[in-house]
Amino acid sequence: MRKVLVALFALALALAFALAQRYLTEEELKRIQAGGKAYAEVFVNQRPDQALCSIHRNRLPADLLPKFLEEQRALIKYPASGKLMGDWRKGGAIFNNLQKANCFSCHYGSPEHLGGDVGPSLEKYGRNRGQSEAVQRYTYEVIYNAWAFFPCTVMYRFGAQGLLTPEEIADVVAYLLDPESDFNTKPAVGSR
Amino acid sequence: MSVRKKRLILLAGVAFGALAGLAAYTQQSKPLDPFEEAMRQRQMYLETFGVLPGDLFVEEGKELFYRKGPSGKTLEECDFGKGKGVLEGAYALLPKYFPDTGRVEDLETRVYTCMQRVQGFKPEEIKRDEVRAITTYIASFSSKAKIQVVPKHPQELAMYNLGRELWYTRAGARDMSCAVCHDQHAGQRVRLSPVRSPRQGLGNEWPAYRFEEDKLYTMEDRIDFCYESIAIPKPEFYSDVHIALTLYMLAEATKAGHSFEELPFFTR
Repeated sequence: MRKVLVALFALALALAFALAQRYLTEEELKRIQAGGKAYAEVFVNQRPDQALCSIHRNRLPADLLPKFLEEQRALIKYPASGKLMGDWRKGGAIFNNLQKANCFSCHYGSPEHLGGDVGPSLEKYGRNRGQSEAVQRYTYEVIYNAWAFFPCTVMYRFGAQGLLTPEEIADVVAYLLDPESDFNTKPAVGSR
Repeated sequence: MSVRKKRLILLAGVAFGALAGLAAYTQQSKPLDPFEEAMRQRQMYLETFGVLPGDLFVEEGKELFYRKGPSGKTLEECDFGKGKGVLEGAYALLPKYFPDTGRVEDLETRVYTCMQRVQGFKPEEIKRDEVRAITTYIASFSSKAKIQVVPKHPQELAMYNLGRELWYTRAGARDMSCAVCHDQHAGQRVRLSPVRSPRQGLGNEWPAYRFEEDKLYTMEDRIDFCYESIAIPKPEFYSDVHIALTLYMLAEATKAGHSFEELPFFTR
């Protein structure tokens, strides 16, 4: 009897573990294989935090939030130089590139492209906020891992997912904050 | 002159006009309504050439529909859901379960399987462009039709569930899912493009000619374009992935009482 209970407990544990790791069931993953190897792999390799957001439809219950935020915060790394503001010209090339950071697709404020309105407007970002250490740090960290501030948001986790290096993120921070940057000196496309 | 040749000549002429229009369009500092812009372009095509590019795909699809396969049969012998050779309103009911293949199929997959089972083509002989044109021809018989995708058969329900789960799954290096944009940010803009939810009728305009790309997109093509823009490798054509997502979106659009646009639609 005890053996059965232990086995059941182990099974339940394994199941709970499997469920926590992935959003899709084994059966669903099998059907997704029909979509091809490259496609299916993306779903097989779903990360636990992605699964959590999927399960909760991007609205995490309050009791999960402290641990989630702590884990996301732990992923943030900084440039070796310690400088959070890099080269604004390089940052502009990253900000305005569809294949690279693609920021303008959702955020308004770029002097090069008309921005979308899925995310908040960043128009004249640095002019309104200044360049204090706190502002630099906040801007850097949100770009590095937006989920450490806005759990399950649509914004890419540029640093945490390896889409941009810490140095590239510092360049984007400069593009947004530097008073000399085109972002703060030139009018946003679409502004009157 | 063959349809293909006519299409080439028209498209060459039209590409120039579209480019000029597009240049003026993107240089504008005020956001234009992309739908209004598409309607303006559509009118320009009609006035200049007397025909829309999408209609040329319909014509080509019609030729291919009545072409005999190795078995000597045309696609008139294929049941697209309302009986052999019945095309009127067939697209508006798809995807659905087909007992002969034992599978839920969307129109594109149905064309693909009928070309094999009825017409005797080998899978490697079937060109994607031909399926695209035939799909457009058949879909044109459901222009402005009310969408009526209601999963009932157990396999349809399973497909709906798979589509819904894919819809909500966040995955890939960009942490994306369909829902995180199309549900949570429906009504907002990604660049110039308005984001719609299935309940707002998402999916009701395909197959459509996209003048910016100068290409015809079916529903499967459009799903692939979404995957491309979120850096997830495209699923194989005619796979359960496309069919499940299509079924989910159109079933949701059905619940909200949506109809198809003029098919093939003309869009950005």
